[in-house]
Amino acid sequence: MKVSRAHFKWFALCFFIVFPLGSGILFSEFYLSLLIRIFIFGIMLLGFDILAGYCGLASFGHAMFYGTGAYLAAILLTHVTGSIWAILGLSILANTILGYLIGFFSIRTRGIYFVFLTFALAQFFYLAFSNWNFVGAADGMAGIPKPNLGIPLDLSNRTVYYYFTLVILVAAYFIARWIVESPFGKVLVGIRQNEERIRFLGYNVNSCKRRAFVYSGIFGGVAGSLIVGYLSFVSPGVYHWTLSAEILVMELVGGMGTLVGPLIASGFVIYLGDFLSSWMAETWLMVLGAIYVICILYSPEGIIGILRKLGSIKRFSPIGDKGP
Amino acid sequence: MSFPTFLINLLYGFTIGSILILISSSLSLIFGVMGVVNLAHGSLCMLGAYFGLTLVLWTGNFWLALIVAPIVVAFIGFLMEVYTLRPLYGLDPLLQLFLTLGLSMIVSNLVLHFWGGDVRSISIPEALKGNVLILGTVYPSFRLFVFIVSISLVISIWFLITQTKWGIILRAGVHNMELVDALGINISWVFTLVFTFGCGLSSVAGVIIGALHNCNTNMHTDLLIWGLLAVVIGGLGSFRGAVIGSLILGVSEAFGALLMPGLAKFTIYTVMVVILLLRPEGLLKEI
Repeated sequence: MKVSRAHFKWFALCFFIVFPLGSGILFSEFYLSLLIRIFIFGIMLLGFDILAGYCGLASFGHAMFYGTGAYLAAILLTHVTGSIWAILGLSILANTILGYLIGFFSIRTRGIYFVFLTFALAQFFYLAFSNWNFVGAADGMAGIPKPNLGIPLDLSNRTVYYYFTLVILVAAYFIARWIVESPFGKVLVGIRQNEERIRFLGYNVNSCKRRAFVYSGIFGGVAGSLIVGYLSFVSPGVYHWTLSAEILVMELVGGMGTLVGPLIASGFVIYLGDFLSSWMAETWLMVLGAIYVICILYSPEGIIGILRKLGSIKRFSPIGDKGP
Repeated sequence: MSFPTFLINLLYGFTIGSILILISSSLSLIFGVMGVVNLAHGSLCMLGAYFGLTLVLWTGNFWLALIVAPIVVAFIGFLMEVYTLRPLYGLDPLLQLFLTLGLSMIVSNLVLHFWGGDVRSISIPEALKGNVLILGTVYPSFRLFVFIVSISLVISIWFLITQTKWGIILRAGVHNMELVDALGINISWVFTLVFTFGCGLSSVAGVIIGALHNCNTNMHTDLLIWGLLAVVIGGLGSFRGAVIGSLILGVSEAFGALLMPGLAKFTIYTVMVVILLLRPEGLLKEI
């Protein structure tokens, strides 16, 4: 039987749905928490792919959305409410505003200057939150209460949290798919390929870029809120530029502008990190660096490019090089 | 603040600034000529510091370390340019930026792997351990030595750029590399030379910093960020801009740490954001 794209996706989904059944029997529960982290990063990577892969705005400060979502959740959980819906709603709202503002300023620059500007803006947040005593300054906040769903399911249970993040990831995937396949998504690809042309066609390029920023900010913020709900811990590290760099690495290793690629890459990178750091502590990053460099040099389309070359899976991305 | 304190801080600021020039000017020249912002610059600088450390531990000779470590790092830079950057010319320039990010990850973690995470310091030669009196104030002679070495290096590079045939090619390249190519100069070797030389220069700074402060495995981030800040303030691709930017940063660091310890970093990032938004080409456009 020829394995097509649709089959592959449903296989993966079924696998992840039955996965927790084996937890504690076939493999340790550790893999469940690994997968939760992978799902959460996957949500962020979906958003980042809209911005960097489709619109071509490779921001070097994407951690600011993740961090804002994370700190917002931490503050709300500690001082205001435990409802995950309220937290996610406010996180979306806050990151809509933040995404709009960051987009507003950073798209005035381009190329290398854009990279620097997003980097500097994210570092502002890092410095601000590592000096703000209300959120624990450089130590961060620990022992944050668990969120609740509002129905009799306990989110402090790992398996429940697993399904919760899986549902959000699947929803995020379909939303992202819907965004990039909509006319707006086609305009984003057009901006990446030839901005002038899109401008001549009468589109407001800057407003489209801002929208891309808002969308990717929302995904990042949701991811940040979810990780705090799971780990009950937050530190200024969520704003640090190394996280932004890691996001970029995952994006490029996965294959830009493919949605599925960065998702697979987030799983691959996080799993590799956990696997290797058991023997080589922090220095596993050099292996990741080497994989990343090899990817850029030999397979600019990333993991998706390799899969395509192997020919087992047909084109994942409907956009390819067919711009408007 | 009394006048001697002011003077000592100013001199210290210039000392930091002059080391920073070695990093930022090579970063800036590499960008000017090749269009690549080398994010591995901080890591190579750190690698230089650790090579220097090992050489001093083996031979006990600081001068040897100051000369040999940069040559080794320059050779590594040469390999990087030839085998990783060269295949990417003509593609999206951001791809090279991302590549150097990966190189930086590899180099900095290799350093962590081989030298471990301890903070260590390069011991300085006996002759430089004392103090000198400047206008009645005591000043460590090693700092003065560092200042003199860095400034003389900067002046000789300036001479190289403005007075020699190599410098003409370099300056022409900053303006328009394609035209230089059309005039029959092998630009891929110009690229390699500039990159190699830049890496060597930054690791001179690395050895000096390793002796002046210490070698630690997190230093590459700060070195890179400071170098980038100086370059952005001065103007990407401009040598004089990098000099001015570095001196501004050095002096503001020396006084900022004294006058408003918490705010100094904020101020620097604010300056960076404002410059990028209002005048992305930086203070100076010319080399």
